[in-house]
Amino acid sequence: MSTMAVESQSSPPRVNNERLLSLAVLWHIVLALGGLVGAVFAWISGESLPIVVRISLTTGLVLLGILSATAVVMIRRRDHRGRVISLFINYLGFVFCVVALMQLLGIFTGLDAFGDTFGRGVVFLATAFIGYLIGAFGDRYNYAAQQRYKRIGRIIIILSAIGFLIAVGIFQGMWAVLSSYDSPMPFALSLGAIIFGCILWVMWRQASAEIFKATNAQKEALEGYLFLSPNLLGFIVFFAGPLLLSLYVSFTNSDAFNTPEFVGLDNYATILDLDFAALSSPNQLASEVLDTTVYDELTRFTILGQSYVVGAQDKLFWTALGNTLLFVLMAVPLSVIPALLLANLLNTKLRGMKVFRAVYFLPSVAAVVGIALVWQWLFNSTIGYINYGITLLTDFLTTNTPLTVDDPQIQWLSQSDTALLAVVLMSSWQWIGFNTVLFLAGLQSIPKVLYEAATVDGAGAWAQFRKITLPLLAPTTFFVMITAVIQAMQVFEQVFILIPGQNPAGPNNSTLTMVLYLYQKGFQRFEQGYASAIAWVLFFLIFGATLVQFRRQRSAGTAYDA
Amino acid sequence: MHSQRLRRMFNGTLIYIILIAFAFIMLFPFFYMMTTSLKEPKDTFRYPPRLLPREAASAEMEGFEEPVELYHIEVNGEFRPMALVEENIRIGQFADPATPENIITVPLADASATGGTVTIDGNEVDVYMVAVDDEVVELVLMGRTAFGRFIDPDDPSVEALANVRLSEPVESLTLRPENYSEVVELQGMDRSLTNTLMITILVVSGTLFTSLLGGYAFARLRFPGRDKLFLLYLGTIMIPFVVIVTPMYQLMVAIGWVDRMVSLIVPWIFSAYGTFLMRQFFITIPREIEEAATIDGASRWQILWRIFVPAATPALATLGTFTFLYAWNSFFWPLVAINTGNTDNHVLTLSLSILRGRASDSPNLILAGAAIAIIPPMLFFIFGQRFFVESATSSAVKG
Repeated sequence: MSTMAVESQSSPPRVNNERLLSLAVLWHIVLALGGLVGAVFAWISGESLPIVVRISLTTGLVLLGILSATAVVMIRRRDHRGRVISLFINYLGFVFCVVALMQLLGIFTGLDAFGDTFGRGVVFLATAFIGYLIGAFGDRYNYAAQQRYKRIGRIIIILSAIGFLIAVGIFQGMWAVLSSYDSPMPFALSLGAIIFGCILWVMWRQASAEIFKATNAQKEALEGYLFLSPNLLGFIVFFAGPLLLSLYVSFTNSDAFNTPEFVGLDNYATILDLDFAALSSPNQLASEVLDTTVYDELTRFTILGQSYVVGAQDKLFWTALGNTLLFVLMAVPLSVIPALLLANLLNTKLRGMKVFRAVYFLPSVAAVVGIALVWQWLFNSTIGYINYGITLLTDFLTTNTPLTVDDPQIQWLSQSDTALLAVVLMSSWQWIGFNTVLFLAGLQSIPKVLYEAATVDGAGAWAQFRKITLPLLAPTTFFVMITAVIQAMQVFEQVFILIPGQNPAGPNNSTLTMVLYLYQKGFQRFEQGYASAIAWVLFFLIFGATLVQFRRQRSAGTAYDA
Repeated sequence: MHSQRLRRMFNGTLIYIILIAFAFIMLFPFFYMMTTSLKEPKDTFRYPPRLLPREAASAEMEGFEEPVELYHIEVNGEFRPMALVEENIRIGQFADPATPENIITVPLADASATGGTVTIDGNEVDVYMVAVDDEVVELVLMGRTAFGRFIDPDDPSVEALANVRLSEPVESLTLRPENYSEVVELQGMDRSLTNTLMITILVVSGTLFTSLLGGYAFARLRFPGRDKLFLLYLGTIMIPFVVIVTPMYQLMVAIGWVDRMVSLIVPWIFSAYGTFLMRQFFITIPREIEEAATIDGASRWQILWRIFVPAATPALATLGTFTFLYAWNSFFWPLVAINTGNTDNHVLTLSLSILRGRASDSPNLILAGAAIAIIPPMLFFIFGQRFFVESATSSAVKG
């Protein structure tokens, strides 16, 4: 409490820096003792916590204690590293207290309430935008008018912002926040945030930097960490942390019902376990040669007159893998090759090419969910336009040519041999435009001189395409291929929405893809350890595919250079 | 010379034909979506399908409470709109036993069975007394059907009998915008729309903010471990989201964010890709500019906001559009994080996936829902096209 009292007096222009620093030292002594005592307490009383939480909590507190103790020693010696450690601890402490306070006061979860009132504020967002436009409008006049327009624009924006906040219920929200100050915890966290914040300010000040004789490089480094910190903290909490946790979870049998146990590589073994057996005749039952309590028959094949059967412990995984690879093999060429053609046509500099480019790009901006709903009706076997088009075509061929073509009346989405094809057609349709734009950018970076020289040498259009365009477009092609493969390997939404009925795995599991399988395992059957293992297998497949293409691109590149 | 010009013209035409064909393929599903979302429910199930929404025309008739539907009916060799006043009139198809090909149709009520039978082509058929052109003749009954009775609404004396199913209804092009209000009612799409809007605005502004700061630090400030950290950022761009989806979900459960909209916002405002994009842009800004500002005594914070942010408007717009699409269209994470029963917190994609099951027999409603989700990004695209194309290519060319 005494810290508070002194802090509030620290407003006069001349502050006694030495006294402020001794306050910081005092604070770090408190933190050091608190950290070590807290660590012991956490280890003893934390028996009910999960082991990971218990260990990390204790280690964290021990670290806090040790770092604070080091900071005390170094600050007293006026060593700049002490300042760095102190800034580090107080910054993290401040952020932690503020975030924990927001969490405790329900500010994060309170966003849901704004969902209800947000609609009322939309008008004010529109007027704020008009204010911005007015401000920007002034740019076409002289300086004085510009300033006038800017001022009017700014006033409108500020008024709209106030109107927006009132409309969405900022007062009710603030009242809700204030009324949750009803237990000691919010007060403690607020106090913590204030103390951490004040010490942070004390250590950060220019005067402190001078006392510690900070060099310019040291100041720059501190500022660098400060600027990066929001990004880095979020990255650690919401990406790097979950990533490591995911690896750990994949080594456990974690599900929603039992305490997770460490099982090592068991999940991976189950996923990848295959068994081969020779058959005495192609039609022999699999149960005669395979242990069918463990393995399900996956497929059988015949080489050199000898038949074999393949069993898999997790048959569905292999089905999903097969479907996904099949999807990649069909959807990637279907979305890349037409895109290459279109990009070359768009690069001819005829009129209206920008319009075409925009039209082709249109499907890429639409939500896959919406697109899939549209295509679900296009693929409808009785009233859908795709079958109607096929009917028109077969009728035309039958009446105008000697051929007699039967109308196939394809049941696109409910037949196991066409369901995946339907997903391929829709996805390729959606991806073509994006690839076209990428190819076009690549084409436009090829120097025109090369083509002129080739024309002089008498090379035809096809020769120019093969000898100039393709080699020089190789980096773009590489990028397009990688993006397309990565995207296609993760196909999920397309299948989930397009395939009608309750089970998106489709007729005969023919549209079960890897991510869909992962979703079903992890979020419908809650086998999260197993689902994480599937995710990592998928990651290594993607990584492998990228690596292979990278190698090929490299070797192709050197061949061209030579 | 002449033949060359001809060939060029031919080539140009061919190029346009191919481009227009592809443009048709690209646009058709959207046309289909828009027109179907404005159709009458009955009109959506018609075969052969028709693109434009139509409504059956009807006329007020004396003696009828409801308006009567109009059909194109042939009277004395010409088609005219006639009102269907009576359905399911039982009709006999009669013929002279000598010439069974010449069928005449007469209401069964106007014919009386004689009780006798004749054998034609091995089939025994009944003989009827039928009134034809004011004289009664003996004919055989070849078949039965049901006709409708039609009256000219302007001149009730003109009457005709015709097969209703084979007659073409009189129709007019009409739009049915009620589909949109119905789907909003049915699935709470208005709430989903404002939710999506709020989430998108917060995610875009948050991402821009953290990427600006991070990108500036990576591009301009020297600190220990900077380059290694940047490499780490780069490496993670390739890692698919599904790898972290399970622990992310567990994290949300642990901190009580599951089923809350905040789970769709806060984890998504720290973007390695965005940081990378801003860093790549900032390193192209000449150092001299900020050195001049530093000499004038500006702090880093001021330099960032006064010099770098205005200069980075194109890059910010690019990142903004990219993030906008990502936030607006994302489906997998909302599906995992938000409970399907909690419709108050649904985003558009989630509402659509539920609507798909609930309105599975009303394409007009489903496609109206799809249009609500698809049109805003499309309008955004049409106005900010440059930045979309930029966002697509910047990753390829600069990366």
